[in-house]
Amino acid sequence: METHQIYSLTSVVLFAIGIGGVIMAKHFLKKIIATIIMGGGVFLCFVSFAQRDALTFADPVPHALVITGIVVAVTSAAFALSLARRIHQLTGEKTFPDEK
Amino acid sequence: MSGSGLEKKERRYPMMIIEAITVILLVVGCFFFLAGTLGLLRFPDLFTRLHALTNADNLGLGFIAAGMALHFGSPWTAIKIFLIWLLTLLSSATSSYLIARFRREENNPKNGKEG
Amino acid sequence: MSVVIDILMAILLIYLALRCMLAPELSKTIFTFFAFGLTLALAWIRLEAVDVAIAEAAIASGFMGVLLLDSLRDFSYALSKNPKNLELPENFTIKESNKSLLLPRLALGIGFVIFLLISMEATWKTPEGGGLTAVSEELLPQSGVEHPVTAVLLNFRAYDTWLEIGVILMGLLAIFAAGGVKNYRKPSMTAVDPLLRQVILFFIPVLFLFGAFLLYFGKTGPGGAFQAAVLWGSIGILFHLGGWPIFAMIPRKLRQFLLTMGLGSFLILGFLLMAAGGAMFEYPPAYAGILILIAETLAAISIAVALTAIYVYLTK
Repeated sequence: METHQIYSLTSVVLFAIGIGGVIMAKHFLKKIIATIIMGGGVFLCFVSFAQRDALTFADPVPHALVITGIVVAVTSAAFALSLARRIHQLTGEKTFPDEK
Repeated sequence: MSGSGLEKKERRYPMMIIEAITVILLVVGCFFFLAGTLGLLRFPDLFTRLHALTNADNLGLGFIAAGMALHFGSPWTAIKIFLIWLLTLLSSATSSYLIARFRREENNPKNGKEG
Repeated sequence: MSVVIDILMAILLIYLALRCMLAPELSKTIFTFFAFGLTLALAWIRLEAVDVAIAEAAIASGFMGVLLLDSLRDFSYALSKNPKNLELPENFTIKESNKSLLLPRLALGIGFVIFLLISMEATWKTPEGGGLTAVSEELLPQSGVEHPVTAVLLNFRAYDTWLEIGVILMGLLAIFAAGGVKNYRKPSMTAVDPLLRQVILFFIPVLFLFGAFLLYFGKTGPGGAFQAAVLWGSIGILFHLGGWPIFAMIPRKLRQFLLTMGLGSFLILGFLLMAAGGAMFEYPPAYAGILILIAETLAAISIAVALTAIYVYLTK
């Protein structure tokens, strides 16, 4: 069992936990955190493949993609937070109306 | 070239001592971390928990930092590790202080302002 | 021995993610999420991705943590206004049993397990090719930098970086639009703690220096524009936490200039390179290092201002 295999298996489980959270969690903040965990799973998968393909150094292309991906994920999560807070401010809701 | 074997022989003895000291420092550091975590889990209220965390964990981190600095054995790395420890000390002390202050103001309605 | 550490780390990651989703209180979810982010950063160090680890710890755990904590305050303040809902737990499982939903749930569960098995099988496979490692290694001497990740980010795939700065700007614009908040966050009525202010004043030069260090040595080692940008952006956030609304102090035109500077510098650089007779981001190898450093610095300043602006606009 090698390092990259351990982490790529972990990444699958993390992705599954994240997607379960997106579907089943109710609070906006929890849903947003679930999407970040999902993204974390995808990034972990990428980086473990990069380590699998290592020669003198690990494959730099997935690393670069993951760095950009993290920044984009955080930006979109910040936008989601602003939407959630706006909804909360206007209506007082903390969840989607059909998921109460 | 002929001196290298002798040098190696001479150096092996201190290396072993340094490694032993490193291991001891790391174990002591881990013990303090364990104590801090135990305090965090077992102490009754926020203030005692903060007390356990800040004291024990900073000391534990100090021991681990010293151990790692010895392990790497280069002065530059040692300075960097020492700086990391100092910054962690400063930020953890400040954040614990702020948490405690927040809790005190929250419990004491005279000081706390309505948002 | 190292396999044991990796397995422990994997178990910790899964445990923290589950705890994060199953925690009954929102505050627990958020604090577990911090721990999850930091553990993920450790996992990336285990996978030899130090750049990613810095980015994760700084952006996904640090910056996102600030935003989440602030949102938590927002949501829980509103909770305390109507104390009926104060103790309402946010349960993960659906309590009321609805028989008509049993079959879909069963199907969902089976699909889930199949998905898990298939993806585990797919990730378990051994590699056929070496990916793009060999190509990057071969082209590295021409890129003007020595660190492969920086070379990919700012030379081979400069388009990605450029457009990503655009994505950050778009996110900021969307937050402007969705927030609809005109006035800046005012310094809170309670006096800011003098100790906090002193510590912030101590940390700001340290952060600036460390950001510059990461930026400059990004060409030889881990680090680069994004990591530096987050550290510099945290300077702005710290100023705001200490009660100095620095973002409002910058004149409006200058603010707009700073925000678009990163995107614009890449664009101008690309067009200049095209005018010189190459493709859009085809640096001449002799000047590649200095050109990359300039573009990186401008982009870092721009991203730092954008991150501060996201914080300021999100926390009204």
